[in-house]
Amino acid sequence: MKFFAVRAGSIALAVAACFALQSFAIGKGDLVFRLVFLAGLYVTLAVSLNLINGITGQFSIGHAAFYMVGAYGAGYTANNYAGSWGLKGPLLMLVLLLIGAVVAAVAGLVVGLPSLRLRGDYLAVVTLGFGEIIRIFVQNSPPLGGAYGLTVDAQFKFKYVWMVWLLAILCIAVCRNLLKTAHGLPFLAVREDEIASSAMGVNVTRVKVTAFVIGSAFAGAAGAMLANFDGFISPTSFPMELSFTILTMVVLGGTGSITGSALAGGVLFYIPEYLRDLKPVSGSSLVAAVIAVIAAVYVVKRIADHYHGDKGKRAALYLGTIIAGVVLQIILAAVFKNVPSLANANFEASKLRMVIFSSTLIILMLLRPQGVFAHHEFSWSWIQRLLGKKVPTTAVSV
Amino acid sequence: MDLGVSLWAAFELSTLPQQVVNGLLLGAIYALIALGYTMVYGVLRLINFAHGEVFMLGAYTALFASWFLGYGKGSSLETSGPLNLMILLIASMCVCGIVGVAIERFAYRPMRSQPRIAALITAIGVSLLIQYGGALVLPIAPPPSINEKVNPYRGVVTMNLVGGDPQLLEGYEKAKIEFETTEKAWTEARASKQPDDVVRALRDKKNDADRTMGDLQRRMDNSGVKIRIPQGQLIMFGTTIVLMIMLTYLVMFTAVGRAMRAVSHDFDSASLMGINVGKIVTITFLIGSMLAGAGAMMNATFLGTPLTTFFGVMPGVKAFVAAVLGGIGNIPGAVLGGFLMGIAETAVIWAGYGQYKDAIAFIVLIVVLLFRPGGLLGSAKVEKV
Repeated sequence: MKFFAVRAGSIALAVAACFALQSFAIGKGDLVFRLVFLAGLYVTLAVSLNLINGITGQFSIGHAAFYMVGAYGAGYTANNYAGSWGLKGPLLMLVLLLIGAVVAAVAGLVVGLPSLRLRGDYLAVVTLGFGEIIRIFVQNSPPLGGAYGLTVDAQFKFKYVWMVWLLAILCIAVCRNLLKTAHGLPFLAVREDEIASSAMGVNVTRVKVTAFVIGSAFAGAAGAMLANFDGFISPTSFPMELSFTILTMVVLGGTGSITGSALAGGVLFYIPEYLRDLKPVSGSSLVAAVIAVIAAVYVVKRIADHYHGDKGKRAALYLGTIIAGVVLQIILAAVFKNVPSLANANFEASKLRMVIFSSTLIILMLLRPQGVFAHHEFSWSWIQRLLGKKVPTTAVSV
Repeated sequence: MDLGVSLWAAFELSTLPQQVVNGLLLGAIYALIALGYTMVYGVLRLINFAHGEVFMLGAYTALFASWFLGYGKGSSLETSGPLNLMILLIASMCVCGIVGVAIERFAYRPMRSQPRIAALITAIGVSLLIQYGGALVLPIAPPPSINEKVNPYRGVVTMNLVGGDPQLLEGYEKAKIEFETTEKAWTEARASKQPDDVVRALRDKKNDADRTMGDLQRRMDNSGVKIRIPQGQLIMFGTTIVLMIMLTYLVMFTAVGRAMRAVSHDFDSASLMGINVGKIVTITFLIGSMLAGAGAMMNATFLGTPLTTFFGVMPGVKAFVAAVLGGIGNIPGAVLGGFLMGIAETAVIWAGYGQYKDAIAFIVLIVVLLFRPGGLLGSAKVEKV
């Protein structure tokens, strides 16, 4: 009884939180509204790729393709067929979302089936290639708008932030429940060792295809939301870099960690958006920052590799290095102000944002290659342990 | 899509040899870049995503070297000689070699004991950093990116495989004589100040003869089979082949090459056998990047493509696909894959589907991988527990 009460309670809480988010976002203007919406999409994309990459261990770098397939599937259906259905509002959006998911799932099946024979890097290249093929075919397909993009009818534009976040939560819940139940064990087994798991009776083919289908269905649903939110999609909205960005979210968050992917999805989406509004940076402070960051990263890396003492002391050393880095940056910036060629050069922040994004990526990988959360998940017992309570660890940790 | 009718209508069989040659020329560049991917993958099992960016930096080095030699915009220098081209080539190769080794030392070496996916993400990060960081400081060079005067070889080599139709040739000769006589008559009439209407009539006659001659010449050219190659591209192809032969010698017949093959075969055992693995990895990056530098310099000089910091992305991706197609880690495979990719791409353009030329690389790849999961020359061995 308690089980069902907890479940019903969490579902109600999730729905309530989503509607609260919608009403919060509406009051903040169009830009924030769109950002909140997109953040939900990215969380969905990252968590669904995590199912393929992190949990099943199938290295896919073409996730943007499924996102695109879903977007075009939903957009095309809405323009050509949805008018005669007589549905309205959330119900229509739900149907379109399901269509996007189904179309993308079929695409996932198409990619998943032949790629069963491939492993590792070969699979990665095939998924990458699949993404490119889809993009180029859409670009040359007049019914889908070609390179000009597809405009979705204004009557099918739905600004449902709550629905996106509900989708994200559903995606997280599906992955979490998969991991917590017996159905998820074969996925982990395939990730750890394909041959051994097949010897133990795991149907490797079925597991891989299932992972591909579920992952791409969620990406497709996210695409459907995008198509009906913006009302306009074009092949350039789904470039190869988008796949890399989603992959980065998964790996930075910690491969296999749902918590990690969800958080990294939100944060990594927001960092470049935030950097868009920065003021131009002068050359002197930029050069100073580069030197300071390299020095700080070098020292932190050395501490991480060579200092094996007390945890508190190590944290203090890290903190000291970071403070020293900031001080170094300030001093160097003041020194470089005297160099006219540096002080007069200005760099627009919009050009800097991808530089900062990529350097963050490299630095994080150098300092913590297993990702921020590694394989850990958020749980209440983890919080309690953090607060100093002694809680027995669960028998099966993922 | 209506494949079928239009697919075949576009084929023009007499241009087939030309297309094959174009494909080979294009494939040579892909092969040169693919070698860098495949060598690095061979020793480290790492997809070096930054290789395309090394290629891009090589093209920029060639641009700066040409400025340094005085061939900037609006330069008044005469056409240069082969020496300047050699300087450009060596500068590109050196800078690319240094960049490649630096990337390995500072980005990939710390990741060596980590899971491969972490190294891969680092590679993506390095690639993005060079693209966008480079955009802050490097200029955008519109085509022709490098002053055309740098390249002294701007002629076109024409090879006649099959002569034109003899009947057309005969007609052409006749038309030529006709044209010459009419032209002579017109000039004479003009020189001797004859009445305007006579001159005009003679001029019309001459123009008619000219048109007939041009038409016959075009028909004659089309009835024959010939190959036209710009001299620059011929040099590019020759250099590529020479570099590949040098690489083969290095890998197959020298101590360094043997060590490289040993590391590629088994990283850990090689280090137990007394091979300095770190040094071999450095040399691999050096050679692979230098090959990319050579390709970049020739691409920028002889093809005159516009230079941006994203110049290396598409050649990089296609060369990578070529490496996988041949069986990644396999050096002859990369060359084969590169040539196949070039020919496939020109074949698609030839068939009139130029807009799909970027997709064909991947379609070929997927089809090949379905039948040979390890690539054309690679071995698909099942990993043991």
